[in-house]
Amino acid sequence: MSAADENGGVGGSGRLGLLLTVIRAGLRSNFGLAVLKHRLLKEKKDRWLVPVFALAAVGVLPTLYGVVLLIKHAYLLLAPMGQERALLSLGVLAGQLLVLIFGIYYVISAFYFSRDLEFLIPLPLKPSEVMLSKFAIIMINEYLTVMALVLPVVITYGVMAKGGMGYWVNAVLVYLALPIIPLAVVSVLVVAMMRFINVSRKKDILILVGSILLITASLGIQFAAGRAPAKEMNGQAIADLIASPNSLLNRVGAKFPPSIWATKAVAGGFSGEGLANLALLLGVSLAFFAGMIVLAEKLFYRGLVGLGETTGKKRRLTRDEMSRRVSSGRRAVAAVFGREWKIMNRTPIFLLNGTFVVVLVPVLFIVTARPGVSLWGAAIPKLLAAANPLYSILAVALFMTICGSLNGTSSSTFSREGAQFWISRVIPVAPREQAAAKFLHSYLVAMLGVVTASIVGELVLHLKAVHLAVAAGLALVSGVLLTAVGMIIDLARPLLDWTNPQKAIKQNLNVLLAMLADIGILTAAFFGVKALIKTKLAANVVLGVLFVGLAALAALSYRILLRFADKRYPEIDT
Amino acid sequence: MIELTSVSKSYNRGKVKAVDDLTLTVKPGEIFGFLGPNGAGKTTTIKMLVGLLRPDTGRIVVEGFDVAKDPLKAKQVTTYVPDYPAVYERLTGLEYLNFIGDVYGVPRAERLDRIGKWLEIFELAPVVTNPIQSYSHGMKQKIVVTAALLPGPRVMILDEPLVGLDPRAAHQLKEMFREHCDQGKTLFFSTHVMEVAEKLCDRIGIIHKGRLIACGTMDELKALDRAEQSLEGIFLELTDK
Repeated sequence: MSAADENGGVGGSGRLGLLLTVIRAGLRSNFGLAVLKHRLLKEKKDRWLVPVFALAAVGVLPTLYGVVLLIKHAYLLLAPMGQERALLSLGVLAGQLLVLIFGIYYVISAFYFSRDLEFLIPLPLKPSEVMLSKFAIIMINEYLTVMALVLPVVITYGVMAKGGMGYWVNAVLVYLALPIIPLAVVSVLVVAMMRFINVSRKKDILILVGSILLITASLGIQFAAGRAPAKEMNGQAIADLIASPNSLLNRVGAKFPPSIWATKAVAGGFSGEGLANLALLLGVSLAFFAGMIVLAEKLFYRGLVGLGETTGKKRRLTRDEMSRRVSSGRRAVAAVFGREWKIMNRTPIFLLNGTFVVVLVPVLFIVTARPGVSLWGAAIPKLLAAANPLYSILAVALFMTICGSLNGTSSSTFSREGAQFWISRVIPVAPREQAAAKFLHSYLVAMLGVVTASIVGELVLHLKAVHLAVAAGLALVSGVLLTAVGMIIDLARPLLDWTNPQKAIKQNLNVLLAMLADIGILTAAFFGVKALIKTKLAANVVLGVLFVGLAALAALSYRILLRFADKRYPEIDT
Repeated sequence: MIELTSVSKSYNRGKVKAVDDLTLTVKPGEIFGFLGPNGAGKTTTIKMLVGLLRPDTGRIVVEGFDVAKDPLKAKQVTTYVPDYPAVYERLTGLEYLNFIGDVYGVPRAERLDRIGKWLEIFELAPVVTNPIQSYSHGMKQKIVVTAALLPGPRVMILDEPLVGLDPRAAHQLKEMFREHCDQGKTLFFSTHVMEVAEKLCDRIGIIHKGRLIACGTMDELKALDRAEQSLEGIFLELTDK
């Protein structure tokens, strides 16, 4: 018997095996591959997803091709000045910032709101090992998240620069190391925050405020980083670029040095510069990772254990108080609406990904839409002022629609009920009435986005009141259509067996499918309007036709939603 | 009154038969205990009764309403307590009860009376304004049972309702069963606790591998076995085949 066994523990290699087992189990349950395989091949339920994804992939190809062309063009412009490496830096930096922003959502929900933690904590695992098993899941999510941003840059650059074996090997290693530093930073911040929050009784509010602060801070970093090139896109800046090789690279990288190391490691390949920078990047990543593990060992469980427990003061209501608080009988639709509203707004992950997003996007626009902060800051108001009023109304209506409807509120409305969906199935309320109540809730969130975007329109874009009203009208009517479509998609295959609320809204395939559908609808509307404009109709007529067309589709989609609810509710197993 | 006629349900495209040709009537005023080993088909039957699952064949009628054809009317007279109290954790106990009161259209006076009564009996009154998230498993079970009692249903269907309850609450729940059925209402529940079924139920059904293998009063079940043993003995003997 080994010493470790005698102590009731597990030896070094055993610990690693145990850790790998936990990580493997976590990955399997998190990504639901076994379930998907079962549903696709055995139950044959999700087969319709295959053509949908094939279609989506085909739809994405032209965009990807456009991006590759853009990168190629930028490379050809920068290469004669010796500045081509700045492209790699920008790609890496953008990827790492994306890791940072998404990391906050991923880390909070995976570290603190996964229900499987209840099973993991009693296992003979160290706190750092439990955290590592979650960290692995987040890393995979991050690789998938940044793939679309980083890979086109790295691959196009490699092809253009005729990168050798050193380039590609280092590129793979850098890509694997890419999320570690930002994710370790986020993890340390979140673990420290939760350690502090867990002693308080107002945990939910603190989690919400803390998350908003972290997100705002990370966005602040992003805009600070994105600010320099945007502000200085003039002759002098280009002259500077020519004057000193790597100056743009250094300026971008000065905000976040690992992006410089990553760039030099990839571009340098197996040269001394490449290997030295690769070692530097991997070494620093390892140091951050180790620091995170040390901290996790000390703080993780103290922030985690008992987090789900909430205590309330015991207080018996007086007869009068009880009489006031017992409702006198609302209609069923109002009751279901009230339930949706309360649950959405009291669940931090739902609130952050739903209601918060519709306010965040327009507010970000306000913050950044100033000359000197972003390119669009100077350009958009001028464009809108100069453009045909028809175009500015349509552009603002599109902006309002995106602010209000392109979030996961409607497309996760059934999924969010999770294990509690049985209640909706047994109550004596017709599915169509329940769907109507859920529609009202999702639409109210969309309206909040439209109203916030209208305020932006007024404050930043200085639109005429009548133009603003017409744009808001278009956005509100298209909001009905997009809300109903999102709900129909979620109702077709609600994700009810989640253990982590993040899965119901942020990692829910339905949310992605609904966004693709929304983009498809908006693109179709764009081409429809383009065709109308070509016929030389008056602006008012174009807007009128668009409004009536959208209203007809909105009414139709709402009716389909209600009928579909009646059909689908009895079929959904709970 | 509950009537199941030739009800069958299978899973995995007919490969696993969960309930096989089940015919059963539970009369008004009757407490009906539904027994069976794990995986025998109890929960599947209960889920079909409350409309959570659709039978492949057969007909289920509750208080004269066909569950498949007239689901809303059937649901209006039925309440259900599942085997695991999955409730809205972010609502307070009182908000959940108000929600149930609203969707069942319970008049205010009755609502106040019943909420007051059952909160006192289940000792939930001091915590009713706290989020359900803060409740223990047993307290969640109690709030689900309170919600099921709130509409004053004609038919109550409960899946393992005594699991997780402390002895006092379990005793009160059993008293409630009797009180409910003494008013001419119907109660159908599944359990693994033989003593409870033996003492409390007017009639007992035993399901095994999806088939109802015995059904009747305790005396009728004892008559099936010459040794006239306890319900536990009868259960073990019948389900051993």
